[in-house]
Amino acid sequence: MATFFGEVVPAYSRAVEEGEDDSEEEENEEDREIRNEIQKKREVHVHWNPEITKSIDTSSAKAFQCSDLILAAGPNAAGFLSAFVLSSGSWETVGSVTLWNERCKTTANQQLPVGPSCVFHRPTDKPDVLICQCSCHVAEDQLFQWAEKVLGSIQKTGLTVTVLSDCSVAEYKTPDSVSTIPVPFLRALKTRHYKEAPHCPLLEQPNVITGLPAAVLSHCQVFGIPAVLYQCYSDVVKPDSVTMEAYKPTVSCRSLSRVMKLDSSESVDILKKLVRVNEAQSNLYT
Amino acid sequence: MTARYDRAITVFSPDGHLFQVEYAQEAVKKGSTAVGIRGKNIVVLGVEKKSVAKLQEERTVRKICALDEHVCMAFAGLTADARIVINRARVECQSHRLTVEDPVTVEYITRYIATLKQRYTQSNGRRPFGISALIVGFDYDGTPRLYQTDPSGTYHAWKANAIGRSAKTVREFLEKNYTEEAIATDKEAMKLAIKALLEVVQSGGKNIELAIIGRNQPLKILESKEIETLVAEIEKEKEEEAEKKKQKKTT
Repeated sequence: MATFFGEVVPAYSRAVEEGEDDSEEEENEEDREIRNEIQKKREVHVHWNPEITKSIDTSSAKAFQCSDLILAAGPNAAGFLSAFVLSSGSWETVGSVTLWNERCKTTANQQLPVGPSCVFHRPTDKPDVLICQCSCHVAEDQLFQWAEKVLGSIQKTGLTVTVLSDCSVAEYKTPDSVSTIPVPFLRALKTRHYKEAPHCPLLEQPNVITGLPAAVLSHCQVFGIPAVLYQCYSDVVKPDSVTMEAYKPTVSCRSLSRVMKLDSSESVDILKKLVRVNEAQSNLYT
Repeated sequence: MTARYDRAITVFSPDGHLFQVEYAQEAVKKGSTAVGIRGKNIVVLGVEKKSVAKLQEERTVRKICALDEHVCMAFAGLTADARIVINRARVECQSHRLTVEDPVTVEYITRYIATLKQRYTQSNGRRPFGISALIVGFDYDGTPRLYQTDPSGTYHAWKANAIGRSAKTVREFLEKNYTEEAIATDKEAMKLAIKALLEVVQSGGKNIELAIIGRNQPLKILESKEIETLVAEIEKEKEEEAEKKKQKKTT
């Protein structure tokens, strides 16, 4: 089929011809092998430390007990947890998720993930709280696996999930002009079983959540796990201290109040350190 | 909806917006804060210094620039655009001196810069300048002036204003604290500028740069020691205020 500009474009027809099913068997060994290899490469691997692996193996449901899972998706959410939660008390790293996609290239056999990745931490005095900082990009085809494998290893009874995620304010749809809303701001979305009132307005229509927070929230809604998502809309997508501090209202949330300390002086230092690396490199704006 | 109307600068959207100009104003918010204060015998410009990379020469990262001996400006937004605007303004200042044999008034050079910016919002193929500027100086009759321009090409005179990141917070602080007694002396005006910046600057006095022009005096950029002295005075005053309040509560 020739188009207006003279190029030849293959014409796709939706008419189904008899005998088309036979063509699938003609896929040769090589194509199947390549497809399997790609699938294996894009597989999501969850690694737990020996203690958790043992409790998973010894339990009947093949899952370990956890009462609060706090997940941070995005550099500012992860930075907020680093500054205000992980800075006080003693924490141990109990697991990690490694995956490969075009934007996040960690290999499965790396013991300690370097650079963007997903890491699980747990306070030594409250072993039933689990924090996950996920700063790598999880591709659309890996989201379901991520949610299944991570949430599948945690027992569903008694679990509450809190998700903090970053988003660009350019994707926020509102009838009013965005310049009238003080940025950054929080919006919440919760599953049916979450009974606590969120500490910011609910996300208005027609805005949608995408990516890892959406996959986690959908999984929780399907399996009846109470979960809440706090999405921070900001005009800065890189790590920025003002955006990280915008998550502070979530301290009143039950799960976070167990582990968050707002008045620590170390938080300010950690915030500065997280942001300093980024600032000096851009000469575009003065 | 906005996607079809922000491609070209010369297109209005159905509800009357020029989206490129509004987006340019967002670019201004990405620059660090600058504050300008008009005193009785002094005009003050304070800026938050950008953190420089280790190997970078600090002197070449400047937000405050002199346009002539009696006029200077601070900008917020795209560095490269600012350089172009400043160069054009400097040439115009000298051209005016040679043609009319008088130094420019602050309003004249502000109008020149604003007209330049407006031209770029009305021609095809060009984007607006992504900077806002605070222009301060003294006219030859000795009146202090402070003007602000923005990417749309508008300009207004102000008694005190702020541009850049967190400008709203600083402006609210100034609205509360800009009083006749707050600008009674030169030193008080400088301290007001520093106090306004300390509201939003995260690392305190080390990251503040201050420039002043006195009547019939050239532009002076304060050294960091002088700024630290002023910051120390401000902190002492704050402590004394807090002490007084505590005493009032107990008695």
